Amino acid sequence: MRLRPEGVSVPAGSGAGRPSRPKLALAGAALALVMGVAASVSAATAQSPPATIETTIRDPWVPPELRTPPPTPAPQGAALRTQVERKLKAGFDAADVGRSGTVTRDQARAAGLGYVVKHFDDIDRQRAGAVSFDDVKRFLRGRGAQLD
Amino acid sequence: MSTLISRIGACLAVALLLAGCGGGGSGGTPAPPAPSFTDPVLYSTAATASLPSAVEIAAVTKHQLVIHGTTINYTATAGHLTARGLTSNAPEASFFYVAYTLDGANAATRPVTFFYNGGPGSSTVWLHLGSYGPKRLVTGDPATTAPTPFPLVDNMESLIDVSDLVFVDAVGTGLSEAIAPNVNQTFWSVDADAAVFRDFVIRYLGANNRETSPKFLFGESYGTTRSAVLANMLESAGVSLNGVVLQSSILNYNVACGVISPIVSCAGSVPSYGAVGAWYNLDHPNPAPSALPAFIGQMRTLTTDQYDPAVAAFLTMGIPPPPGLLTQLADTTGMSLAGWQTHFNLDPGFYHANLIPGRLIGLYDARVSAPIGSPLAIEGDPSSTFINASFASAITTYLNAALLYTNPSSYVLLSNAIASWGFGHDGHALPDTIPDLAAALAHNPQLKVLSVNGYHDLVTPFFQTERDLARLGPMANVQLRFYLGGHMTYLDDGSRALAKADLAQFYQGATAAP
Repeated sequence: MRLRPEGVSVPAGSGAGRPSRPKLALAGAALALVMGVAASVSAATAQSPPATIETTIRDPWVPPELRTPPPTPAPQGAALRTQVERKLKAGFDAADVGRSGTVTRDQARAAGLGYVVKHFDDIDRQRAGAVSFDDVKRFLRGRGAQLD
Repeated sequence: MSTLISRIGACLAVALLLAGCGGGGSGGTPAPPAPSFTDPVLYSTAATASLPSAVEIAAVTKHQLVIHGTTINYTATAGHLTARGLTSNAPEASFFYVAYTLDGANAATRPVTFFYNGGPGSSTVWLHLGSYGPKRLVTGDPATTAPTPFPLVDNMESLIDVSDLVFVDAVGTGLSEAIAPNVNQTFWSVDADAAVFRDFVIRYLGANNRETSPKFLFGESYGTTRSAVLANMLESAGVSLNGVVLQSSILNYNVACGVISPIVSCAGSVPSYGAVGAWYNLDHPNPAPSALPAFIGQMRTLTTDQYDPAVAAFLTMGIPPPPGLLTQLADTTGMSLAGWQTHFNLDPGFYHANLIPGRLIGLYDARVSAPIGSPLAIEGDPSSTFINASFASAITTYLNAALLYTNPSSYVLLSNAIASWGFGHDGHALPDTIPDLAAALAHNPQLKVLSVNGYHDLVTPFFQTERDLARLGPMANVQLRFYLGGHMTYLDDGSRALAKADLAQFYQGATAAP
């Protein structure tokens, strides 16, 4: 099904030819402007331009070239748990910058792995100062996560 | 951190309410209440556009809503917050949002919910002005006889009595824009979009001292795709969610027969055809309205027991379907026997154009129909065409006149982001986000999920959503609800009231101590 494709002719990067528009260095400008309006400007006189719709397509929709994707498995059960573990592991590995197999609290923080930072002491049961992926999995399973 | 927000005390000139104005943590010196607030920045939704820099400013107004005799005093905050990279802390995008917060509430227990529509490329105007905000447009859905533009009225089904509500526009929609060196296009992909939303949520929570509040996501359509990815990203970042509401889901594009070419089974849509046929009194026998849930149960069984194997044989080996099944499908969906014979893997596009000779029924809400060639039908979906202009005209007026937020840019309801969106995710060309939702639940097994579905939605059919969520396995965390209505079930007055009650119950369960 194509959702209202008739009006769509939007090549990627079509905004490239857009004329430049004025940009205000607004840090002070916004405040000054607001102070400047004082009580004399009423809401009725302050108007923004009308809203616009740039495209006639609505969600969900994909471009024609994506409408014949190769068969893609929809994992469930053990296969889904494997994929979940792979996703968790990818996040862990990104934090393990030293490729040591373990992540310190600082490494977790630097990588944005907040859940490890937040629960670090609960995950690091050996008080080793660094946690392995197995430690993380054990912690998550202990909280009820469906992981193998 | 609220001192970082330059809150402009733009308050309604109601003496009773002025005490609340101008505070906002800006150091204790109340700013004189200004009658209006203008953000002079020009925002662009072009793919290559970006702001050189951004500041966090907002118009703050005080309001009252009376729901069933209870007066609710709330604050509306309309403006921008800057999302910064999770690890880089570099500015990424300036998000436009409108937050409605209950006055005098305890931040530690008061939930906060982030709402966003989908597209991708859609602003959040539909949820903001149509669903559970303090105001809503009167659409008269599914009739097309309501006066236009729709009036904006107090919303008796607002969720404001349950949760603070933050309606936020995706980058490159509404008034949200990337900050250099990024451009809007930087965030037009499944992963980059969810990541920058994560960074907005973190910024909102930090700027408003809401880190300890119960947190909810409420996405619609592509917004449910975003929610699955975003929920996992937030959990991974240590931001624990209480609940995710999935309004009319598309969680796996790879099985969405209505979106990709019908090379995959359209079984997920068959029970919806049953409901739509019943709406038009075309089923034989036609179920009474009160019998619809039971009838839908029979449609699920028919689909699973008979249609699934037959369509699999048809698609893979070209085996013609059993004639008895074709008759049964014609009787239970309203589509003619000839229609089923020529289109056994019946896609919603064929169904909506051919169910009723001479009429086009809606895709977003199949209960809406119009004569082919008429103004309502000419854009391809009467249910969208009927409402678009009213939502477009309402948002600017509402921001200006009620929230006292003005801006020289046009608020863009639907941008062209979709045309160049990066749909790739997890190594596939199109996103399957069930693993993301499963990963979010692995991070946080307390997380609750509510799937809201419309029987008459042909673009994200409810039975496909049931099947997608079933991949998670039997879980007490996941609830599904079904309502009369289309994609935007909340436009239906009866369904909005029912869903509001279900949402209140869901929030109660999701915020209760384990």
